[in-house]
Amino acid sequence: MLLLTCPNCGDRNVSEFRFGGEYGPRPKDPSATSDAEWANYLYMRHNVMGAQTEWWHHSDGCGLWFLAERYTRTNEVIKTFPYVKRDA
Amino acid sequence: MRDGVSPHFAIIYQVSGAVIGELMQTEQDTLKTTPNRLHPKQGEVIDRSTTIRFTFDGVKYIAHPGDTVASALTAAGVKVLSRSFKYHRPRGLLCCAGHCPNCLVQIGDEPNVRACMRSVEAGMDVRAQNVWPSLNRDLLSLTQLGSRLMPVGFYYKTFIRPKKLWPLYEHTLRHAAGLGEVDIDTPSGKFDKQYLHTDVVVVGSGPAGISAALGAAEGGAQVLLFDENSALGGHLRFTVPLHSSLPSQVSKDLPELLEALSQQPNVTAFTDTSVLGWYQDNWLCAAKGARLFKIRTKSVVVATGAYETPLIFDNNDLPGVMLGSAAQRLLHLFGVLPGRQVVIVTANEDGWDVAADLQALGVNVAAIVDEREHNACSSPYRDGLANIGVPVFYRHTIREAIGSSAVSGAKIVRLDGRGEIAPATTQVLQCDLIVTSMGWTPATELLYMAGGKSEYSADRAETVPVSTPPGIYVAGRAAGIHAVDSQITEAWQAGSNAATFAGFGEFDELAAQASDISEPRRTSERVCVPGKKKRFVCYCEDVTDEDVETAIAEGYDSIELLKRYSTISMGPCQGAMCSMNTIHLCARANGRTVQETGTTTARPPIAPVTLGALAGQNVEPVQTTPIHQWHLDHGANMMVAGLWLRPNHYGDPAAEAVCVRKQGGLIDVSPLGKLQLTGPGVPKLLERIYTNQWHNLRVGRVRYGVMCNDEGVVLNDGVCAHLKDETWYMTTTSTGATAVFEWLQWWLQSGWGEGVHLTDLTDTYAAFNLAGPQSRTVLEKLTARNLANKAFPYMRIRSAKIADVPCQLLRIGFTGELAYEVHCPSGYALHVWEALMDVGRELGIAPFGLEAQRILRLEKGHIIVGQDTDAMSDPLSANMAWAVKLNKPDFLGKPSLMRISAEGPKQLLVGFKMVDPDVVPAEGLQVVAPEVDGRLKIIGWVTSSRFSPTLEEAIGLCWLPADLASQNGASFTIRMGGDLKAAHVHHGAFYDPSGERLRM
Repeated sequence: MLLLTCPNCGDRNVSEFRFGGEYGPRPKDPSATSDAEWANYLYMRHNVMGAQTEWWHHSDGCGLWFLAERYTRTNEVIKTFPYVKRDA
Repeated sequence: MRDGVSPHFAIIYQVSGAVIGELMQTEQDTLKTTPNRLHPKQGEVIDRSTTIRFTFDGVKYIAHPGDTVASALTAAGVKVLSRSFKYHRPRGLLCCAGHCPNCLVQIGDEPNVRACMRSVEAGMDVRAQNVWPSLNRDLLSLTQLGSRLMPVGFYYKTFIRPKKLWPLYEHTLRHAAGLGEVDIDTPSGKFDKQYLHTDVVVVGSGPAGISAALGAAEGGAQVLLFDENSALGGHLRFTVPLHSSLPSQVSKDLPELLEALSQQPNVTAFTDTSVLGWYQDNWLCAAKGARLFKIRTKSVVVATGAYETPLIFDNNDLPGVMLGSAAQRLLHLFGVLPGRQVVIVTANEDGWDVAADLQALGVNVAAIVDEREHNACSSPYRDGLANIGVPVFYRHTIREAIGSSAVSGAKIVRLDGRGEIAPATTQVLQCDLIVTSMGWTPATELLYMAGGKSEYSADRAETVPVSTPPGIYVAGRAAGIHAVDSQITEAWQAGSNAATFAGFGEFDELAAQASDISEPRRTSERVCVPGKKKRFVCYCEDVTDEDVETAIAEGYDSIELLKRYSTISMGPCQGAMCSMNTIHLCARANGRTVQETGTTTARPPIAPVTLGALAGQNVEPVQTTPIHQWHLDHGANMMVAGLWLRPNHYGDPAAEAVCVRKQGGLIDVSPLGKLQLTGPGVPKLLERIYTNQWHNLRVGRVRYGVMCNDEGVVLNDGVCAHLKDETWYMTTTSTGATAVFEWLQWWLQSGWGEGVHLTDLTDTYAAFNLAGPQSRTVLEKLTARNLANKAFPYMRIRSAKIADVPCQLLRIGFTGELAYEVHCPSGYALHVWEALMDVGRELGIAPFGLEAQRILRLEKGHIIVGQDTDAMSDPLSANMAWAVKLNKPDFLGKPSLMRISAEGPKQLLVGFKMVDPDVVPAEGLQVVAPEVDGRLKIIGWVTSSRFSPTLEEAIGLCWLPADLASQNGASFTIRMGGDLKAAHVHHGAFYDPSGERLRM
C-alpha cells in the first residue's frame, strides 16, 4: 500500500487519505468564461503519464487538503506540500 | 542391496509390525495399517506416543500428531490422492511442499486443502475432490479418450456457437469446472486481521532466512521472520544426510542457527504463515490460517528458496513419480517411506543425496539415472553407492513411467553425444517410485512484484537476480546460492544491508558488495523428454508439452499470450511447478533464448488463501446516537442509514405519523451534520457555497440553503442559523455530513478561508425534533423562555435551558407541523430526551422513527437529497428554483445554473397522486409513454412514494419531462411489473400547501 506523507502528520497509509483529483484552479472570474472554458474546467483532465500535481485530503487524520506530485506511471510520490494561495 | 535386505530394513518392519499387531486387536477389518512408517529418527516432527484417527473417502486411517494428511496416507500406502482437473487422471504426491495441485482434498466443508500442508486432526473427514463416482474408479477419466477433441484452448473455440446454446453449455461446464464443493450453508468462520509494523521482514526461514534475520537483528533492527512451513529451518530440516559414513558440517548448522535465533530478542518468527504478496512502499500481506497479516516494513529480505523443477516425460504425472525434495521431506520429517524400490532420475548432486538417504534407510535403489557423464558427477556418495552395487546409468534419462494408477516400472534411455535420445537403447526397470531431481526454479515472485529483475544464466540453467529495488534484498536459493555455508554468510550480509537501509548503522560499501559465488550447476536444461504418451507441463490444468506446441503454432508465441491461452501457470500452483519448463518449451519452439522469452508477471496471492481470511471479520462499523440504548429499550426497529444506526419505527410507522399530525412526536435527529462557522468571513463564504442569499440574514434567524458543486448538481441541503455576530451554526443532511465537512475544508483551505474558522460539532450535540400541535405546550413546561409565536416565530433560533440543560432551539422541521429542533450537548442527551418524553407522554406525544418522518415529509413534498436527486440533478429542475438566486455574485454552480436556466430544464421533479389511491408504486419504477410505433418509452422515474395515512391515498415524487411536469393534473403512466398504472401530476405540497400549521 502506498505511503503518503501528510505535511502535518508525516508518513501514513494511503487508506487514511481521500484523493481529490488533479490540481486545476477555478477560473478567476467564472461569469466571464466561455462555454468551452467552463466545460474545460469542469470536465477536462490532463491525465498525464508522468508527474501530476493532485489534491489529497487527510480525511481520517488532521483534515488537511494538500498537494502531491506523483508519477502516474509508477505511482511514485515525488513530494507532498501544503497549498499556498498564490497572489491574485 | 538390490534385494532390499539390510539391517535397517529389518528394523522398519519390526517397528511397523508392532504397530500393526496392536491395531489388529481392536479394529482389524476397518482400520488401515501404516506399513510405510519407518523407525523413529532424529528431526522428525511426529509425536509417536499418541495415535489419532481420521477418514479418507470413508476409510479409517491412523496418524500421529504432527503428521500431515498426505504423510499419514503415504504411511498407509495410499498413492492416489486426487484426480486431475481435465482428464481425471490419478495423481499422487509430487512436491510435498504445498506447491503443486496434486494433493488437493476436501476436508469437512473446506475445499481445496493441500493435504501435504494440513496437519491431521482427530476425526478429520477427508475426501477426494472432482471425482465421480470415486477416486479409484473415476468414470470422468474417460474424458482423456476424447482428448484429441479437446485441444488446448478448446473452450474458446467450441462453446461459442451457436450463441443460443450457451446456457446449455454453461450448465454442463459448471459441473465439470472447479474442484471442491462449496457448502453454502457453512456458517461463516471467525476470521481476523492483524497489522504489523517492523524494520525488516525476512520471508523464508531456511539457513539463508534465519541468517538474514540474525544479520539484521544484530544491527538493532526489529525483524519479522515468516515461513509457510510448520517449523523454521527450510531445507536443512530434511537435507541433513542420513548416511552416517559421511559426517557433515550441515548437520550442525540448523541447531546452531536456531540457538542463535532463540538468543535474539529482536526477531519474531511466524511459522505456517504464507506471505501472499508485496505491495507498494514495502507493504506485505501474509496469511496464517484464519488470520491475515498486513505488514508495513522498511526493508525486505526475500529468502524464499526454490521450487524443485519437475521433468516432463511420458506419464510423468503417474502417482509414484515424485520430486527428490518431496521424498526427503517424507523420510526426514514424518518417517515415511515413499516407495520400496526406487529409480532416481537426476542431473545434479541433490539426486545423489536422495539416493544416499534412501539407501541408508534400506530402500532398494533400483537405479540412479544421471544425464551427466560419470566425471561430471561430484557427489560425495558417487563411488560409495556404486561400490555397494547400486546400478548407476550415466548419460541416461527416463523416457516413461510405466503403470496404470501407480508406478510399476520405468523406461530409461541412453543419450547420444548431442544429448538426444539414442535409438534402440530403451531399458525397463522395475520400481514403485521414480524420484526426479533435475534442478531448481528460484522462488522470485516477491522479488518480481517489488520490481526486481533476474537474468537467465545459461551456464547454470537458472535465473539469477541482477537488480533489486531499494530496500529489497535477496538471499539463499532465491538468489541462486545453493551451498549452505555460502547461503549463511551471504544472507547475513543481506540482512545487515536490510537493517542499514532501515536506518540502523552505517552502510559499509565494501562488506555490502556481494561476493562472487561460484556454484556448481544444479539445474538441467533438459526439461522434456520426447515420447508417445501424455507428458504434463502443467499439473493444475492438465496441459501437455504438445498443447504448448499447438498453442505456439496457432500464434500464441509470446509467453504472456501462451499463459492466457493455455491457462498454464494459472491454476493452484501459480507457476511453481510449470513456469520454468514452459519458458524453456516456449523458447525452444520459437528458436529464441530463455532470456529473450522472458517470464510471466507475478501477482498476488502467491500461496492459496481462503476468501474468509481476505474478507476478515463480518462486521460493519456503525455510529450510534447518544440515546441509542433508549431506542432499543423502547422496541425500536433499527436500520442502517448512512453511517448511522437509527430507529426506523417503534412498531407502527403510519400511526406514528398520524400521532405527529394530531398531537405530536419526538424524533432523534442527532446524526444531522452540525458545523460551527466563526469569523468575519463567514457571510462571504456562505454566499459562495449556498445558492441563495446570506449576507442579509439577521442574528437569531435561520434560513434553508442548497449547496451545489460547480456542475450545478445538488450536493446537500440544510439550514444555517446566524447565532451571534460572527458565529453561525450550519446543519447538513445526516448522510452528507462528512462530505460537506470535507467540501467546506477544501474551499477554506484552497483560497476561501480568510476570516473563517470551521468546527465539526456533529458528535458534540445531540438533536431532537419535537413536532406537532402540542410541541409548544410540551416545551413550555421545560423552559422559562417565552415560546409564543411572536417572541419565537418560525425559522428562528433561540438559546434556552431545557430541563436545566443549555440548548439551542431551532423552530424548523421536516414534517410541516409546528416544530422545535432541540440541540443539546451529547452528554445530556438522554436527560433532555427523557424530560421531553415524560412531559410529552401526558399530552399524547410518542417517539417516531425515520419511516414516519419520510411519510410526513412526503406529504409536504419535501425532497431528500440523494434519494429524490442524483448526481445529475440541479436545483432548478429539482423543484428548488426558489432557493437559487442567479442574480447574486459568483457562487458554486452559478455558471452552470445560468446555462441550465437559459436553456430551460429538460426534466422536473414533481409530486404525483395515483388514480387508484390504494396503489403505491415502488420507488425506482419507470414512468412510460407510448411512442409512435406503440412501443413504450421510459420518460421518467419514481423517486419517493408512500401511502399517506393523513390523506388516505398514495402519493409520491417523480421525474418527468418538463412540459408534462409543468401541467398540474396532467396524466401519465407508471409501469408496475406487467401493469400500467395511471397517475397525475400534483403541484405544491399534498398536505397544508399554504404552510399554516408550521407557523401556528
